[in-house]
Order: sequence, then C-alpha cells, then structure tokens
Amino acid sequence: MKPGMLMLWVAGATLLAQTDPAAELDRVARTATAMVDGDVCQRIQTKRSLEFLFKEDSRDKYVASDNFDVDHEAYIQTKKTLMRLSKLCAGECDVNLWMPLAADPRQIQILIRNVYEMSSFWQWGKLFQPTPAEMKRVLSTGERVTVRGASRKISVLAPAYNSLGDIVGLVEVVAEGQRDLQENVK
Amino acid sequence: MLLLSFACDCNAAELLALPEYLRPDPFGKVVEADRAAGAAPARSIVLEGARAGFVSCHLIVSIAQKGAYRLQVFPFAESSGLQAELYREWYHYVPKSGKYFPDALVPVAGTVQSKLPEPDNRIAAQTAQGYWLDVWIGHNTVPGVYRTKAVLKVDGQESTATIEVRVLAAVIPPEDAVTMDHNTYGTSWLASDYPVLSRSGGGKFYLSDRFFDLIHAYHRVFYEHRGAFHQLGYGHGGKVGPEFAPALAGTGRTKGIADWTLFDRHYGPLLDGSAFAKTHIGPRPIKLVYLPINPEWPASFLWWGEPGYEREFVNVVSAMDRHFREKGWTNTRFEMFFNHKKRYKAFPWDGDEARFANDLPYLREYHRLLKLAVSADSPVKFVFRADVSWSLEREIREFAGVIDLWVCSHSGMSYLPDAPRVLKSRGDMVFTYGGTPEVTEPSSHVTRDVLWPWVWGTDGFVRWLTTAPGPDPWFQFEGGGETMVYPGDRFGIGAPLASIRLKLERNAVQDVTLLNEFRKTLPIERLRAEAIRRFNGTELKDWYAPRPAYADKDPMELTNADTPQAPSPKFDKELDAGAWQRVREYILTLAREEK
Repeated sequence: MKPGMLMLWVAGATLLAQTDPAAELDRVARTATAMVDGDVCQRIQTKRSLEFLFKEDSRDKYVASDNFDVDHEAYIQTKKTLMRLSKLCAGECDVNLWMPLAADPRQIQILIRNVYEMSSFWQWGKLFQPTPAEMKRVLSTGERVTVRGASRKISVLAPAYNSLGDIVGLVEVVAEGQRDLQENVK
Repeated sequence: MLLLSFACDCNAAELLALPEYLRPDPFGKVVEADRAAGAAPARSIVLEGARAGFVSCHLIVSIAQKGAYRLQVFPFAESSGLQAELYREWYHYVPKSGKYFPDALVPVAGTVQSKLPEPDNRIAAQTAQGYWLDVWIGHNTVPGVYRTKAVLKVDGQESTATIEVRVLAAVIPPEDAVTMDHNTYGTSWLASDYPVLSRSGGGKFYLSDRFFDLIHAYHRVFYEHRGAFHQLGYGHGGKVGPEFAPALAGTGRTKGIADWTLFDRHYGPLLDGSAFAKTHIGPRPIKLVYLPINPEWPASFLWWGEPGYEREFVNVVSAMDRHFREKGWTNTRFEMFFNHKKRYKAFPWDGDEARFANDLPYLREYHRLLKLAVSADSPVKFVFRADVSWSLEREIREFAGVIDLWVCSHSGMSYLPDAPRVLKSRGDMVFTYGGTPEVTEPSSHVTRDVLWPWVWGTDGFVRWLTTAPGPDPWFQFEGGGETMVYPGDRFGIGAPLASIRLKLERNAVQDVTLLNEFRKTLPIERLRAEAIRRFNGTELKDWYAPRPAYADKDPMELTNADTPQAPSPKFDKELDAGAWQRVREYILTLAREEK
C-alpha cells in the first residue's frame, strides 16, 4: 500500500470509528486476538476447580462457587493484557475473557471481567451459562461478531488462539452508550 | 415495661393496647407466631423504662363494621419530657404462610382520620388496624408516673385506652453495649425503590440533593434505632460508585485525588454527625464506614506487583488521611475491607470469606500498603476489616496485628468461646454476622441477635443485607429476611420506613445497654446467667457449640454442610415471643433498685 493510500485508509478508519463506536471496538477486538495468549488462558482455572464446577450437593448449594479457584499467575498475566487492550478504546470499555467448558461444550464461562463490570452476556453471579449463538459462531468460525444490546451496549467478540492454532476462548470488548454508574456496585 | 389489665370484651368499636412483642393481625387477634396463653389486648397499658430511651406498645383500632374512624393520641404534658410518636402498621401478606403480618411503620400524626378496611392495604375482611406507639423518655425527665390517653371515635361513640409510663431514675448510656449493624450494597436500588422521588425535581437523581438526603435518611433511620448502617461502595470487579470515593486523576506517580465534591456531600454530614442533628439521641459521627479501597481502587490492578501499584495506593490513601484530618473526621473507624470473591470473575483471590491459603498473602500486602500510606501518628482511625467464615482460628492466629476488625461467621465463633477475649485483648473489634429473622417468626427472634454478642462478649452483630424488601413487599411479601426498613416512596415519604422488627431490636439494644451498666456493681457472669435463663431457660454453656471434628481439617476439605452442632430448639422453634420481655423485667428490677 502506498503511503498516500495508507493515510487515506487510516483517516477513513478513524472517521468510521468516530461515527460508529462498534468499529473502534472491532479494532480493539482484532488486536485482542493477536495479543491474548490462549495457552495461558487455558491454565487459568485450576484442575480442582474444574472438577467442582458441575458438582451439585443438596446439602451445600455453594459447592461449586466455594471451590472456584484460579492460577494466580496465569490470571494476572491475562487480566493485565485485557486491561491494556481496554486502553485502546477512546472511551470507557471493558475487555472480558470467556472460555468454553470442555466438560460440557454447550456451556461457557466468563473467566475475567474488568473494572466497569460491563458485559452484554454475563448473567450476574453465574459461574457458567449456556453459550450464546454469537459466541458459538466465534468459537466455530473464528469470525469477529458485533452484538448490539440494551442500554446502547455494544460488544465485539473475537477469538483467542493457543499455540496449536485452536480457538480456546474469546474476548468480549464491550462499551455502553450510556453507562449506569451505580449498576453492579454490589 | 408493660402490664395488662381489663381484658377486652370486644364491642362494635374498641381501642385496645398490646405490648410490643405481641403483634396484632388485621382481624383483631395476635399473630399466631406471637400468641401466648393469657395474653390479650387490653384497654390500658403500663410502660416502664429508663431515661434517654423509648418505650413502645401497639394500639389497636377494632371495628366490627366497615367504616370511618378517628384515633387521637393525646400528648404527654410538655413539661414531662415525654414525646409520643405514632405509626400505622402495614399488614404484609406473606404468600408462603397465607397470613398477614405487620411490619412496615408509616408515620402518622397524633390524630388519624381513616377507615376500615384501610383502602391502601387492600384487605377486604380487615376489622382491626394496629398502630405502633413510641414514647421517647428524655434524658432530663423527672422520674415518676405519667399518663395520657388515646381515644377512638366511631359514629359518635368513643373508646378510650389509657397509657401510663413509669419513668425510672436510670439513664440508658449513650454508648451501646452491642452495635447492631445493618449492611447494604451500593445505591442502584434507590432509584427503583423511590420511583417518585428519583423522577421528581429534575436533573440527575444521582447527583441531586434528593439522592444524598436519601442516603442520609437511611443512615438516620438506623442511627435513631441505635444501630449502624454500612453501605459498600464498590462492586466485585472494582467498579466504585462515584458517590463513594473521591474522583481520581493521573497514573503512577501522578495519580491523586482530583475532586472530593461527591464524597464530601455523601460522607461529610455522616462523619461530623450533622446528619443526626434532629434525632432524639443527638448528633454523633457514625462509628464505622467502608472505604472504597479494593484491588482496583485507588491503585489500578494493571500495576499489581509493580512499583506503580504502591505509588498509586500510597498517593491516594495518604491524601485521604490528610483530608480526614483536616475535616476533623477522627471519631469514625474507616474500614479497608475486601468484599470481592473470585467466583465473580474479576480478581484472582477472595477478599471476602477467604478460604484458599494462597489468597491470604494479599491481605498482608494491603496491610503493608496501608501502613505506608497512613502516618503512624495520624488521629484518623484506619482499620483493616476481614469477614471470615472458613478458617477463623487460622486467621486469628496468623493475622494478629494485621486485621483489627473481625466480622466472623456465627457458627465459626460458636465453638471458640475464648476468641472474643483473645481478639479484644489485642484491641481488635469483633462482630459476628448473619441474616434477619423473617416476620413470620416470633417477634423475639430479632432480639436473639442482640443478646448473643453481649453474652459472647463481642462488639455486635452484622445483618448482611437490610434494605432489600423484595419485588412486592406490600402485597406479596417474601418475609423480610433481607430487610429491616421499607421504601417510603409509596406514602410520599422520601425516606425509609422503620419496621416493627427494627423497633424491637432498638428496644432490646437499649435494654442490654442498661443491663451492661450493672457490671459496675454485679459480676457480669451473674447478669448474663440470669438474662439468658429468663430469655430461653438456658445456661451459658448452651450458647456455645462443642468443638466439631471438622474444626481441625484443612478449610479446603470443608463444605457448607459442616456446621457445628445445632443449638437447642430453645433458641429457635421453642423461643417464644415473650422471651425478651422476661429479660426486660429482670433489667427493670435491677434498675428500680438503683437509687
């Protein structure tokens, strides 16, 4: 690409981002695919915690959540990457990590959330939940998917790859047109 | 204190009275959970109490036929120092029991014009309406006997109830023997609980005086009921409500406080006590308050483990220390408390109810940071609070000098009788925590949580959630296990309404505070033994559980099914509504003997 054309492309992309916030989130999501280390992501939840994830005990309804645990090093490394990615947004955005569950491919869990506590998908307090169709699409095709939800919320989903080239999870880059500053302070 | 006389021979319209612990239903009877042999409404009532406190009872308007009525409670002589305050009792229908229970208290004037059935309560067969009467006995009231009357008028006929208040010389000390703490989270629920208030007046509600006044009103309702109110200001991912923290700016070396405006609007009147200027017990700063500190505030978690984290933390917290000093906010304990749990997927360690051993070093690091930030000679009381349920013994042992405010699970504390003494000998504060008895339980159950800390020698009890009445508390009530107050919005009141349970709790706190004073002249063991004997026929040993076998296991091997031996049914199923009244009679006997 010639310099002149590149400048034109950059100017066009900037203009697009200014007029359509989803375009900017998409740019961050695309970067996230490059930056998020899927191998590290796969090491986040401990083996013991995974063993408890689907357990049910009539005498202990919190058995799964009370045993939820993560590898601190893998978690922190990935969370910091997600936090850095969120700095690429012009406004306030969160970059969340979602990981499908090998023990039940119909289910997915959010594994890392961030400071604005935004998500178009997370059911508050759920350890895991059925995989939304948009996420299935990302996991199966590697495409980035844009989702527009309530409260002028926009999420862009993008795949996270490991060293084998497998899609092992996805990131959700999310922003809200009108943030509720009191929501989720609980 | 109370005596009954002249049992009722109910006629067409009658005004009757009941002691505070016998809650009336909307059909002229005592709710089943509170019924006791021989207890019945009466035409006169005697209340007895110490000065600087309340005495209370129910007044019941009974009308056989539907129609209008007028109730007038005559004030006590102005010179008496007694002030009567009247509240209409709302009857909540509880579907799971199929019954009505009074709990929310709507303030009314001393003269009430209304009718039965009460139109807004929508109980077609209602024949009785309860009113809660609070009588404040001023600090300077001359001991003696005072009388007033309440008069019901229906179709030109009158029914009169006499109210006698016997004021003792004893004065309830201003410092409570136990602190009943009432917890909540954030403020997002205020807009939905107060749809009228939040939409009125224009502008943005969450920046308006209406909003801050409402927060202060929540503090005030608990303060007036001799309790504390905690409002956590951040989420599990570290999102801080803007009214809970000063606004920050900068990063790394330059991170600092940019604006105190919202913080000071929120906390200023609470920390200097001016929010409580018009209360009976007078203005004092709140005892305890959460700080907004969490793994993401004030330092960004992005810098965790790096020099920038320490710099940001110290910059901001030391500026808070200076600000609090400048403001003179030196009477309140500012709590650094980590509420987040890793199950909510924002941080890798549990701050609340830590269980995993490798989570505990984070607490040590934050203790180090707090020490760095706050100068050693600061008069501001920064404390490090931990809520502990899995490994209390381990943490008591390992966190001496680190944690200084302990909020412990009741069951975990139940088999560690020496723990309160150990912790308090270090200068720590110790609370236990739990829920709130529902309205369907006998009225005395709410007082059990007042007596227990006093018996154990802890500082108080934290009710973990006290402002969530559920989706329809008025007509489809879930029981109130997560609330002790109700939004006043539907009655045009921009403040929370107290509940009967909160009033019963307050009166019990008054009583136990007065009882605690007798430690100066009588062995506390004797006071405790007699109080609990009267409460539920138990001995001190019954208030503790034997050490369970699981206590020596690794916390990772435990489950929620591992609980200590259940206490005797005397603490629950067999605990009758009159339990606290028996304790009160003991306290009043002691107080009467005091010159």
